[in-house]
Amino acid sequence: MKVEDAVAEAMSAHVAGVQAPPGLGREVRRRHRSRVVRVRTIGAALATAAVAVAVPFALGTGEPASTRHVANAPDRAVMDLVTVPDVTGKSNAEAIEILKRAGLTVKEPRIAENIVTQQQPAVGRQVGKGTEVQLTSLPKAVEPQDLGDLGDGRTFGGIHLGYLPEGLVWGEWSGKDGFGKKSYTTSFDEPGQEDGHYSVQVVVYEGDASERIAERLARYDDGSGVDKVDIDGRPAYLGYFTDGGETAGEGDTGATATIGWTLRDGLAVEVFLSPDYAKKADVSAELEKIAEGIEIAR
Amino acid sequence: MTDEDEAAFDEFLAARATSLLRTAILVCGATHHDAEDLVQHALEKVYRHWPRIRHDNPEAYARKVVVNAAISRARRRRVVREITFARPPDTAADSPDLDLRDTLITELRRLPPKMRAVIVLRYWEDQSEQDTASLLGCSPGTVKSQAARGLARIRERMTVAEEAIR
Repeated sequence: MKVEDAVAEAMSAHVAGVQAPPGLGREVRRRHRSRVVRVRTIGAALATAAVAVAVPFALGTGEPASTRHVANAPDRAVMDLVTVPDVTGKSNAEAIEILKRAGLTVKEPRIAENIVTQQQPAVGRQVGKGTEVQLTSLPKAVEPQDLGDLGDGRTFGGIHLGYLPEGLVWGEWSGKDGFGKKSYTTSFDEPGQEDGHYSVQVVVYEGDASERIAERLARYDDGSGVDKVDIDGRPAYLGYFTDGGETAGEGDTGATATIGWTLRDGLAVEVFLSPDYAKKADVSAELEKIAEGIEIAR
Repeated sequence: MTDEDEAAFDEFLAARATSLLRTAILVCGATHHDAEDLVQHALEKVYRHWPRIRHDNPEAYARKVVVNAAISRARRRRVVREITFARPPDTAADSPDLDLRDTLITELRRLPPKMRAVIVLRYWEDQSEQDTASLLGCSPGTVKSQAARGLARIRERMTVAEEAIR
């Protein structure tokens, strides 16, 4: 069989049982309604500004002072220009605070924890002070919580993280069995990053799943481009890997810096630094420090 | 939006939603739940412009939105990608009982998002090179080379898996 036919057949089989859920139309319409809180746009503010500028010129200097006074008040208020800050990816609550601080306004109330996906006027535009910014927001994507509330996220899957690079907080999600049966994972990130982003991800492999790490340890021997380091007397591999698990060079875009080792028989750990975070960290040193800080939880 | 527009949108959903959802699952390589969320999001966009686009191939528009959203989601959600796809390259060889179909799907998921989208559109949806290119906003030449490279990678893995079964 040709490979394209085999792939096509596998794809068909893979999604054969998938059906669009009933109530999809209702859900789409509900999203539509909640999407935009329509507010007075920049147009109204600019119109005021135009009038404010035009009036004194048109009236000239010989006109009564009272007219100019009326024209001047909005003039000062509106023509004070501010640059629209970027609030996408922030929660409504944060966005409103930032915009207000910048001298802009937003129509409230909004669902505080929803995440802003679009804004109008756009980032970097110069607009009159007091202009209302129109925000589009969506509920925060639901991340899997397989292991429940982990508190600060440092204790899970039978281990405890004693060290994390400064500024990182728990990503508020956790996954089970994604890396083989009896594997547990969660991640840590800088606050305010978009959903799905991470800086440090930790995977715990228990039982059979830990064999994977043992195999990798054996495989990544000298000359494979992967370093061998020592974590509290146990051998660990430290290198760059692609999504598929192949080794990659340090410069490869998208390759993930990874350290892996066995904590005790039947319990292994891998720690990844995201490609984003690796750019601003001392990769090997941080990975080793995180690894050395990991101990078996009591 | 008139009542007639609304009714036509419902008809459109009844006819196309399942197919769009399946495409999203294959392209973004995520869970059904994620794909559903993505399709809802994309359909909201379609709904927003419905009166304007309903007479002008709304399916192509919807498909474009879904495919591109699926690609960008697959790119963005690195955590999920690594959860789903981190696997030593020789797992297939270690597990001879692994179904060939599963192997193929796993290999498909390991392709870069856009390459995967090309494979899904060309070989599952049976779109022409030209149509695939316009859906993805690239040239037919890119579609051709991405499809060839994607298939070559899958073929390579398939050989490994088949040898293990033998």
